[in-house]
Amino acid sequence: MNKYTVINPHSKFTVINTHVHNIDGIAKVTGRATYTFDVKLPGMLYGKILRSPHPHAKILNIDASRALALPGVYGVVTGKDTLGVKQGIWRRYKDLCDEQILPVDKVRYIGEPVAAVAAITEEIAEKALDYIDVEYEVLPAVYEPLDAIKKEAPEIHEGFERNINVTRHIEWGDVEEAFEEAEYIREDWFKCGGQAHMCMETRAAVSSYTPEGKLTIYHSNQSPYYMQGLMAGVLGMREGDIRVISHYVGGGFGGKFELDGAIFCSAVLSRKLFRPVKIVYTREEDFIATKRRTPMFYYVRTGVKKDGTFCAREAKVFTNGGAYTGMGATALYLTGFFHSFPYRWKGYRYDGYRVYTNTLPSTSMRGFGAPQAMFCSEQQIEWIAADLGLDPIEMRRKNAHYEGYEVPGQATIASCGIDQCFDEIKKWIKSKGKLPANRAIGISACGFMSGGIFNWFDTPYSFSSAVVTINQDGTVELHVGAQEIGQGSNTTMAIICAETLGVKIEDIKVHSGDTDHCPADLGAWGSRQTLMAGNAVKMAAEDAKKQLLEFAYAQSGFNIVYDLDIKDRWVHAIARPERGYDYAELVKKALRGKDGQRIVGRGYYTPHRKGMVSPAYSYMLQGVEVEVDEETGKIKLMDSLTAHDCGQPINHLGLIGQLEGAFSMAAGYGYLEYMPYEDGKLMNPNLVDYKMIRATEMPPANIAEIDTYEPEGPYGAKEAGEGLTNPTAAAIGNALFHRFGIQMKECPIRPEMILNALKEKAEKDKKGKK
Amino acid sequence: MSEPVKCPVCGKKAKTGSAIDCARHMFGTGDKPHRAWVEAQGLSFIDLLIEQATTPGNKSYVILAEVIEKAQDKL
Repeated sequence: MNKYTVINPHSKFTVINTHVHNIDGIAKVTGRATYTFDVKLPGMLYGKILRSPHPHAKILNIDASRALALPGVYGVVTGKDTLGVKQGIWRRYKDLCDEQILPVDKVRYIGEPVAAVAAITEEIAEKALDYIDVEYEVLPAVYEPLDAIKKEAPEIHEGFERNINVTRHIEWGDVEEAFEEAEYIREDWFKCGGQAHMCMETRAAVSSYTPEGKLTIYHSNQSPYYMQGLMAGVLGMREGDIRVISHYVGGGFGGKFELDGAIFCSAVLSRKLFRPVKIVYTREEDFIATKRRTPMFYYVRTGVKKDGTFCAREAKVFTNGGAYTGMGATALYLTGFFHSFPYRWKGYRYDGYRVYTNTLPSTSMRGFGAPQAMFCSEQQIEWIAADLGLDPIEMRRKNAHYEGYEVPGQATIASCGIDQCFDEIKKWIKSKGKLPANRAIGISACGFMSGGIFNWFDTPYSFSSAVVTINQDGTVELHVGAQEIGQGSNTTMAIICAETLGVKIEDIKVHSGDTDHCPADLGAWGSRQTLMAGNAVKMAAEDAKKQLLEFAYAQSGFNIVYDLDIKDRWVHAIARPERGYDYAELVKKALRGKDGQRIVGRGYYTPHRKGMVSPAYSYMLQGVEVEVDEETGKIKLMDSLTAHDCGQPINHLGLIGQLEGAFSMAAGYGYLEYMPYEDGKLMNPNLVDYKMIRATEMPPANIAEIDTYEPEGPYGAKEAGEGLTNPTAAAIGNALFHRFGIQMKECPIRPEMILNALKEKAEKDKKGKK
Repeated sequence: MSEPVKCPVCGKKAKTGSAIDCARHMFGTGDKPHRAWVEAQGLSFIDLLIEQATTPGNKSYVILAEVIEKAQDKL
């Protein structure tokens, strides 16, 4: 049973942080929620995608005549049926828009789409793929970034010398001087693997193009607005002529806010055939032909004083970018930024290099580069504490961020509860007493952003918007651009709206995931929605409430509008709460007073003057109790506690679900989810060979919630649920270090690595004794 | 106090006014005109970048900063 403890609780709210169930829950558990997978339109065809068997090859010719002759086949499209637009989510930087979803001239990874077919059934479409003849000229390929930067490596994209796709540099302080102050310097190389996003719902799209020139797309994604904008770009259409509908989405985890083959190919086929076309990826396609967490090679050099004061850090990182940029450029920056977290460094330097290879493109994934950064940073810090004979928790505490601290030139920390996180983890470790011989506890700290301030999409819209409309019966229509992807966003927005307006949660109807009816919003990524969309919702609800209270004020005879309030559907004077009347009565009066016009409130949010990365940061410290079988090297997680500061929790049950979910994903990254490639081919693209953590393997995911107040967030809220993918891999590594004295420099930490490390250590110890 | 160093290609003033910051700007920008200027000084942009990436310390930035400093007189 998981334990949930709240430190510093606030109880001033009527809806916020109460036990509100997911407002989509009933539709989901009764199977009435319509995911893209469930969409069926009249006359709909089924699409399948032919994929490249080569990691790097020129496309010389594609002959689809045999496929088109097959009964039931309606059409085939290739790169030649497209505008050939090189697209990417970094629209502001043309060089980084490098991906044609159906390439015209060459393929750059195994699984890349080459052609797409539409047929009357899925089976016929699948069969037709065998009848498309593609002539390739196979080119030399390269798979690892450190090979791809060599002079003799093949060129993957024209004009990108030595295959260097993007570089990022972060620096503050005098790094050399800070290293000179250090009394102890340690350097290590680490290797961090990729990870599949593994959404319950694979990539799926249904596109329907009509002769009026309108394209409607049902699509599983994290940002309908991004999809609308990107599709307009690749199809040469106006954004307003494309409607993207994404009411229910079965998970995203950072992998669903770029264009994928399903949306692009179904749209191109539908435009050609004037019929709706549906494409749903198989699990294998989702593995080999979407994108993945970015694999990284990390060099870390850290200088500290003997008393544990951190002086300087230098990191150099090569990431395996795969064939295209995707969101990898952002991950490259964020890994360097969060590698400094949650500590104060007098001198800090990070050089990041994203390198093209002929492998599956890498991109953002829950944690956005920070899980890799923390795997390296938090283990090295633990080793340094051991080298110097210092208490690792106290050494971390001594150097940690605090409220008001400025990360030089990057961020100002307005709220920070990490000090209390250290206290809670210390208490937990103490409560465990003496552990059995094959167990140990490892800890790891981190911080994370609450939405990014970057506008690489180059949107003229505000980052988040919301519209609140009040019906005559007092019910509320809340239109948001924030995207519900299973994380509970609609519920969180409803809670904020209900709390602000002073009504009940059941009064709020949330409309999201439809570009024709909802305002533009950047969507669900980088832990941005609670803070950014939440602020927009709060503003819209305040706007509507102010309009209502103006009428209440006119009737009341009070001399100040703000003497009135609405709580729990009760309009009342704040000083005399018993004097009041029903909120629905006020709504009717207000409507009549406005000549029947609806009460409409508008809200928006764009961060200003908030540094380089994010308006706010969450903090956490995690402890994991690990058991190891010394004969097999197998790891078992026995228990855990996460002390977590997310400001003021809004959606209590949603928060718990997010923290447990993030922990399971982080554990998988730490010791299970391995993606081995051979000659550019993923060797385990299925759920038998790709090992995810099962419910029976999950340890208790206990939480100590440290409530703080973030001034930039709605009601003091900030990030939760993404940051917790960051600490676990290092915590597992640190447990192994404490149990056996072995240092794990590669993740996921696999049984054979543990056995090898134990063997090496035994040999070293033996030599030492001699 | 000496004049803040300007980028010999785009004229942008370095963040702190130092030549090393200007070198960081040149590596960070890395577009064709900036690369061409580095090459014209007898250096290889890509070799400097890879040197910076694969060895500890700041050697490449320092080398480029020296060249930028010398070029300031010509601006």
